[in-house]
Amino acid sequence: MPTQRDENDRVALLQGTLDLLIMRTLLFGACHGQGIARTIQRQSEEALFVDHGSLYLALQRLEDGGMISAKWGTSENNRKARFYTLTAKGRKELNAKTTQWNRLKRAMELILSPLGEEP
Amino acid sequence: MRIRRRRTAEDYAQEISAHLALEADELKSEGIAADEAQRRAKVAFGNATVSRERFAVRGRAVWLENLLHDVRYGVRVLLRRPGFTLVATLTLAIGIASSTTVFTWIDSVLLQPMSGVADPGRLVMLESVTPNGEWVPNSYPDFIDFRDHLRLFAGIAVSHPAAFSVGREDHSERVWGELVSGNFFAVLGVKPETGRMFLPSEFGDTPGAYPVAVISDRYWRSHFNADPSIVGKTLRINQHELTIVGVAAPAFHGSMPVAAFDLWVPYMEQPVLNGVALWMMHDRHDRNMLGIARLKPGVAFEQARLELKALADRMAILNADVSEGMSATLLPLWKSPHGPQGLLVGPLRILSGVCVLVLLIVCANVANLLLARATVREKEFSARLALGAGRGRIVRQVLTETLLLSIAGAALGIAVTPSLAYSLHYLMPPGPAQSIVSVDHRLNFAVFAFTAGLCLLSALAAGLLPALHVSRMNISARMNESGRSGLAGNSHNRLRAALVASEVALALVTLVGAGLFARGFQQTLHIDPGFDPSQVLVNQFYLSTNAYSLAQRKEFCRRLAEKMSASPGVAGVAYSDGVPLGFEPSWWEELRIEGYAPHPNENMNIFRNVVSPGYLPLMRIPILEGRNFNEQDNENAPAVMIVNQAFVQRFLPGRDPIGVKVNGWGTWLRIVGVARDSKYHYLGESTPAYFYVPFRQFYRADMNLAFYVRTPGEPDLILSTLRAHTRSIDPNVTVFDAAPLREFIRASLYPQKVAASLMGVMGSIALLLAAVGLYSVMAYSVAQRTQEIGVRMALGARPSQVLGLVVRQGLSLTAAGLVAGTALAVAASRLIAGISFTNSAMGANAKLLGSGAFSPLVFLAAIAFLSVVAAVAAFLPARRAASIEPMQALRTE
Repeated sequence: MPTQRDENDRVALLQGTLDLLIMRTLLFGACHGQGIARTIQRQSEEALFVDHGSLYLALQRLEDGGMISAKWGTSENNRKARFYTLTAKGRKELNAKTTQWNRLKRAMELILSPLGEEP
Repeated sequence: MRIRRRRTAEDYAQEISAHLALEADELKSEGIAADEAQRRAKVAFGNATVSRERFAVRGRAVWLENLLHDVRYGVRVLLRRPGFTLVATLTLAIGIASSTTVFTWIDSVLLQPMSGVADPGRLVMLESVTPNGEWVPNSYPDFIDFRDHLRLFAGIAVSHPAAFSVGREDHSERVWGELVSGNFFAVLGVKPETGRMFLPSEFGDTPGAYPVAVISDRYWRSHFNADPSIVGKTLRINQHELTIVGVAAPAFHGSMPVAAFDLWVPYMEQPVLNGVALWMMHDRHDRNMLGIARLKPGVAFEQARLELKALADRMAILNADVSEGMSATLLPLWKSPHGPQGLLVGPLRILSGVCVLVLLIVCANVANLLLARATVREKEFSARLALGAGRGRIVRQVLTETLLLSIAGAALGIAVTPSLAYSLHYLMPPGPAQSIVSVDHRLNFAVFAFTAGLCLLSALAAGLLPALHVSRMNISARMNESGRSGLAGNSHNRLRAALVASEVALALVTLVGAGLFARGFQQTLHIDPGFDPSQVLVNQFYLSTNAYSLAQRKEFCRRLAEKMSASPGVAGVAYSDGVPLGFEPSWWEELRIEGYAPHPNENMNIFRNVVSPGYLPLMRIPILEGRNFNEQDNENAPAVMIVNQAFVQRFLPGRDPIGVKVNGWGTWLRIVGVARDSKYHYLGESTPAYFYVPFRQFYRADMNLAFYVRTPGEPDLILSTLRAHTRSIDPNVTVFDAAPLREFIRASLYPQKVAASLMGVMGSIALLLAAVGLYSVMAYSVAQRTQEIGVRMALGARPSQVLGLVVRQGLSLTAAGLVAGTALAVAASRLIAGISFTNSAMGANAKLLGSGAFSPLVFLAAIAFLSVVAAVAAFLPARRAASIEPMQALRTE
């Protein structure tokens, strides 16, 4: 069962990365909060765990910042849900953040990789 | 921009329930029982209440809410400590009130010297310059040349302050106004409140052709009930009917900064109103017109000055007989050496510096108080930190409290400022200056902005250090001290030591400054003026305002002198043009002296007085050689003069002065006597060459008339006799402002008096504040060490040892401050000694500080005084500390 994975295998989200993940998820279309959380967990092969309380605050923050917009709608199984869509501004932000992240990732790899190699 | 409605907390809560439902659905679809699915969804979400709360507190509303909370809490905290709050608020109020007052003065004297005019930024003063580089007013013919030939000016106007007598002869009233060139209002850009200003057809130079007048809004309201039909009516001025053509805009008070006039009359009416002879209107010697000019748009000050100088230099050559070596220059409005402003600029410059000092002391004091409070409140703060308060939040709390204090201080300060600003009136010398001085003492926006800025600044300065200190506090260390208020940190102590020391230094500078000014003033008071002003009553007559001709004026003087001499209680009578050491300008004549070849560019304009034969004996100025004037020196006799010793030394060294011929006023005079030197313009002056000419031979219509009576008793007692005799000669002549000469001549001490009294006030404020600051800091630091003292005493220290320890530490701090302060004070007194208070032709080199600038006595006294204050401030809390029971001290928390 995915939710019963050992807690130690999970990675706590780095600060600021949650916004990036949310925007990335929304790139494929509108989605509600629960769907976003599920998608992130599934796509990271359950390595990342999204704290649901924080997720909704992050969504609100992004909405306040104009990165995403929201509308109440109906889910596949006919439940009322708030659907989020990426705005043009959010798309630009996502691009910028992704580039930044890739640079950071490369830098981290460069520094960390020699240690990982067995002599 | 799209306006988005804020999302409600309810909407957010709905979203959370929606999420829980969706999650439960998904879990059920994965095969988990409904109950368990709901539980797991809730667990996965975490604390929904916290999330909702965090939603509610996001954004700006929180900031505001926190602020309100901080303010409420701050007020409670401050009210809980009324003593601390009172001291801090009063300290701030004193600092803010004094600086706002000084700023109000500076604003009205230096920054906005002229109100009610269009674009004052392009207005400048136009001054003639003597060959010695002193500034003097302009003559009317010079003005005409300037007006007609200068291209870079939009306009040039002149004015001359004058007393008018308004109303019918039997109840006339004296009104101060200005005689102005016709274009005066056009150049200044003054708008009429009602009616009109002078028209271009009235701009001409034809004597007596423009019988019109403009009155001030103030006069219109006080005398005509703001009646608009006043325009076109006539006003009886100096017994001549002039038509009121308009009322000036309310903000306009005339062209002399800090002064308020009520009446403006074309200068060309001078022959009619004051009986000035026509030829005098065209006399280039008659330099009594204050010039004011408007630069054309886009013309730089320097450019305009050069054009003016070029023209003036050409004029000096063309009119070499009267203007040789003269030049002209432009000055910014605030630099005008004339009128009350000229007297105020020097003292105000020093005062603004002193204000900064006092403000620094205030900030140091409040910072000290807050720091001490913060130490006491450390436990409260650590508790709040431990309970999860953010450090930023605590810093904000401390700053909020400081700000509250400053706001209270500022409110109190602003409340008293208008009455303080008004006090400038009391500092003006008696006589004309006092009646025309006008400071806009209402609060204006600039002053308010200044105070608000000051308030914020002092809050930041005073609050930042304690706030930072709190935020750097180590909670665990604090808490581990098991709640004891132990010794404060080292850096903390150093900070407070620095504050105490700097406070002592600042107080010393202010105190030394005050002492130096007071001493300088005292020394000047003891300078022998060279004449005897006691038991003399002096009165200025404005006979021309009663339409007297020149001959009538001379006759009036002769008859009044005759009547007075015959009265009991009169020891001597005299009259003259100028009053020595008076507030009013003194005049000069350009002389050629037989047998003396002037150096190139030597200034041969020599100061003079026109006196009756009784003048020198009445003043008790001895004639050292030759003879005094007598009644035979009349209009028909050959012209004579008496010179002073300095005159002889400068022009006739080694010669017998008696009989030497001197040319002036276009005629030859013979020296008949030498009078002893005396002081003429300022007590501090170095004696200039000076001469006297007989009243009957040289009195002219445009001169003043001062009448002196010497009496064996109180000068005031003879006033009624003078009044009675004056009335018996002419009931329409009033004795307006008779005063004992001794008081009258104090006017010459005015700049020094202002400096000395203001410095005295500021010095006492600084001293008081420094003493309060010292005491509070010492008291707190001793209170802090109560436990340590308890331990020491429990271990056998005697009270005297503890006392010594505490006092020694206090004094060593004071000593450090005194050393720094002495260095600063020496530098400051050097700076101040260079400031001369006037640049007008009379006494150009008179300094605010006399010879006492480096008086070591003042320094020593100030140092000793501060040491005593510091010792007392340290001793009192130390004694309290030494007298406590060791056991009690140890239990103190």
